[in-house]
Amino acid sequence: MANIIEITDLRKNFPGKGKDKKTAVEAVRGITFNVQEGEIFGLLGPNGAGKTTTMRMLCTLLQPTSGSASIAGHYLKEGSGNIRKEIGYVSQVGGMQRGSTGRENLTLQAGLYGINATVAPRRVKEVIELLGIESFADRKTVTYSGGQRRLFDLASGIVHRPKVLFLDEPSTGLDPQNRAHVWEQVKKLQNAGTTIFVTTHYLEEAEALCSRVAIVDYGKVVAIGTPDELKRKVSLDLDESGKITLNDVFLKLTGRALRDIE
Amino acid sequence: MSNQTSNGVNQFKKLLTDTYLIGKNELLIQVRNPLWLFFGLFQPIVYLVLFSPFLDGIKSAPGFPSTNAIQFFAPGLLMMNVLFGASFAGFGLIDQLRTGFIERIRVTPVSRLAIVLGLIIRTPVVMITQSIILLLVAVLFFGLSLNILGLLIVLVIMMIMGITMASLSFTIALIVKDEGTLAAITNFFTLPLFLLAGVMLPISFAPKILQNVSVIDPFRYAVDASRALLNGDLANQNIPLAILIFIVLGSIALNWFILAMKEAVA
Repeated sequence: MANIIEITDLRKNFPGKGKDKKTAVEAVRGITFNVQEGEIFGLLGPNGAGKTTTMRMLCTLLQPTSGSASIAGHYLKEGSGNIRKEIGYVSQVGGMQRGSTGRENLTLQAGLYGINATVAPRRVKEVIELLGIESFADRKTVTYSGGQRRLFDLASGIVHRPKVLFLDEPSTGLDPQNRAHVWEQVKKLQNAGTTIFVTTHYLEEAEALCSRVAIVDYGKVVAIGTPDELKRKVSLDLDESGKITLNDVFLKLTGRALRDIE
Repeated sequence: MSNQTSNGVNQFKKLLTDTYLIGKNELLIQVRNPLWLFFGLFQPIVYLVLFSPFLDGIKSAPGFPSTNAIQFFAPGLLMMNVLFGASFAGFGLIDQLRTGFIERIRVTPVSRLAIVLGLIIRTPVVMITQSIILLLVAVLFFGLSLNILGLLIVLVIMMIMGITMASLSFTIALIVKDEGTLAAITNFFTLPLFLLAGVMLPISFAPKILQNVSVIDPFRYAVDASRALLNGDLANQNIPLAILIFIVLGSIALNWFILAMKEAVA
């Protein structure tokens, strides 16, 4: 399988405020890995590990301090304009406009991706039907529950049929039913050919969705592989023959437990 | 057409379409909240009703530059409305940053210039609408007499000024990302600019030292130009001066906004 994302020694430093060098942060300290076309790739790590920062650099929202990355054949910096055409991004907080309906939000999104005004309504309808969100599509998003809004966030990331979809903590704050529903939709998208890059705190989510996972801590990758590979690697050191979860892997590799964040 | 020219034409068409999409979206939000239009007009109308009559008491004082209170006050009031109205354009942006809307736009292939223009365009539209209503009130209830050509040029100056103030407000909003800080910074600058521009009382009434300071207040030239234009003094040199000043300030402010939008960390 070809690589659709190639990351080489990506770094991001945030300068400290004023002369106090102590508040400077090395958020991402040399990350290198690839993502294969068509896979669901997960980035796992505790708060402050640099997951969101990495994702935002790949989505052209943040300039890397150094290092390079190519997404769908275009390099960051010179190719940012082209990268934006090929990717979708759903941030942790979403981005729906509260005073507009879900459908209106999606129509605007379609337009911003250059889908012309005659095709856009049909495309928006397709996406709404795909995710099963017709029943509230024409209400103002301010009236939506967390789950409903998250589904529309997801919709806004795929309305232009991107090659790669970036999801930052897709199911944070959702109840188990909504979470399962989101996973179902994400798998549907993978089946349709989209490569999906997910950051998550929820280890069950990583196990349920991801073909491969990279565990990051303090801005570096500490392990990478399929969930099974990682568990096997850790089980060689632990003397347990019982079931090993990603939580055990993480504990072993970073020395602290992942906290599930609401 | 060569490849390069057709590329350029396509890019320009895309800029227009993208600006239109974002601008229309912003205006839709504004229209859905007509209360803001009303609140924006409330203060100027209160000034008209409760302050301008005072000026009739001093219209015969030496140095009073107009024939009566309304001819003096209305032009300045229009500019004052732009100064205070456009300066608060950035507040909406902070909320949009918080909801993730700005980031959502920034991740699309829309150019940063289109985002900036789309966000700004609401300000001149609202300013012109409010001004027309204010002028109607002044003409119908206060006997303001208007030079029509002058009025058209005033609207142009207002647009340029509105774009300048809004750009500055948006840029500072992107940097401070907090409504309280933005309010403090905005008030810090707009109040002295306003007081030294001769809106409420003629600058000639001020002591020499304040008159000298007012020379570096760009807003003062806008007010003087507005007064000249609405009163039919179309050859007044403050007119080209005000236009030039705000085109220069506006270009700087707009560029600053575009830079901030490229770097913005939501």
